Amino acid sequence: MELDELKEKWVEHDRKLDQSIRLNRHLLREMYTRRAKFALGRLAAMLAAGALFMLIVIVSLGRFIALHWSTPHVSVPAMILDLAAIAALAALIAQIGLAMTIDYNQPVAEIQKRLEILRKFRIRYTQAIILTTTLTWWPIFSVVMGGVLGLGIRWILINIATGLAAPALVIWVFLKLAPRMSQQFLKELAGYNLKAASGFLTTLAEFEKDYSPQERSSIREYSPEE
Amino acid sequence: MITAIQERFLNLMEDHKKILYKVCRSYCRNPGDRDDLAQEIIVQLWRSFAMFDERVRFSTWMYRIALNVAISFYRRESVRTRHVVPGSEHLLEATDETENPSEEVGLLYRWIEELDPLNKALVILYLDGNNYQETAAILGISETNVATKISRLKETLRQKKEVQHGTR
Repeated sequence: MELDELKEKWVEHDRKLDQSIRLNRHLLREMYTRRAKFALGRLAAMLAAGALFMLIVIVSLGRFIALHWSTPHVSVPAMILDLAAIAALAALIAQIGLAMTIDYNQPVAEIQKRLEILRKFRIRYTQAIILTTTLTWWPIFSVVMGGVLGLGIRWILINIATGLAAPALVIWVFLKLAPRMSQQFLKELAGYNLKAASGFLTTLAEFEKDYSPQERSSIREYSPEE
Repeated sequence: MITAIQERFLNLMEDHKKILYKVCRSYCRNPGDRDDLAQEIIVQLWRSFAMFDERVRFSTWMYRIALNVAISFYRRESVRTRHVVPGSEHLLEATDETENPSEEVGLLYRWIEELDPLNKALVILYLDGNNYQETAAILGISETNVATKISRLKETLRQKKEVQHGTR
């Protein structure tokens, strides 16, 4: 069957829909009073919580640097951590800005592109946080051991062991309590979702691309006045 | 207490519930997911309703938002693999006949299901009788591009039919 013949069937189906579907007005009215779930809203709230946390970290580290200014072996690592936290906060603010300015009443190609850019940004951010946490292991260690706890070498050894055990415990809890979330996280870490986002951006670019006159003429039945 | 603007929104939703149904049906095979998508679309429509420009047709505005939400929903892979909770109240209630349409309409829905999310949007707009200008404005591509893509889709469908006949 040709698409135009199917279109006639679709029109018939459309006529029947008026009688055969019912919108649950009771549930719709409820929507005004309860907090409806919405992905982008949830994402913005999560990002805002992350930004608030980073702000607390930055202020606390700033205070710590001021208090330990005379002991460089503690204040320098704290400065490195503070700079990393400032960069993370800037990235979070940029993501919030992107998420909040997405207006769904814009052409599909435009909005989908912005959503995919936001998705890529978020994945890159997660990867960067993991990498930064790994690279900033020694300043974190120095700040906590020397600056906060004021501890010596034996405590350092105990804490190395704790430091190795803690990520394993976190991963175990994560996999046990939130398997779906952890799957998503692992996919982001492995670059799977980044590849998917890049792939969809390419599809979008293809979708937006105008055909050349040669390409158009090669397509049977092409008629702009149709 | 429902305000006048809320009542107006409810009435507009009632008048355009077919758009909601067809978009949800085309992007979600699973009835439970369809209900979640319908809810997400309505929430987004309500959030954007204050900014609705009266100079634009309501259906054009609704298509844009509904398709944008549906494509994003479709791309969240985890949602597509979720299980349905039976017996719960649904936002869109359809008769058995609608859920199991005629062979031709069923075939059409199955064909739409196979398309990528962007071409799904294009076919829905075409089948719903939107002209090339309206379709181009909703999708954000040129009219020529819309016309060419429709021709390509017709060609694909024709080839698919030929293959099916050839294998019989």
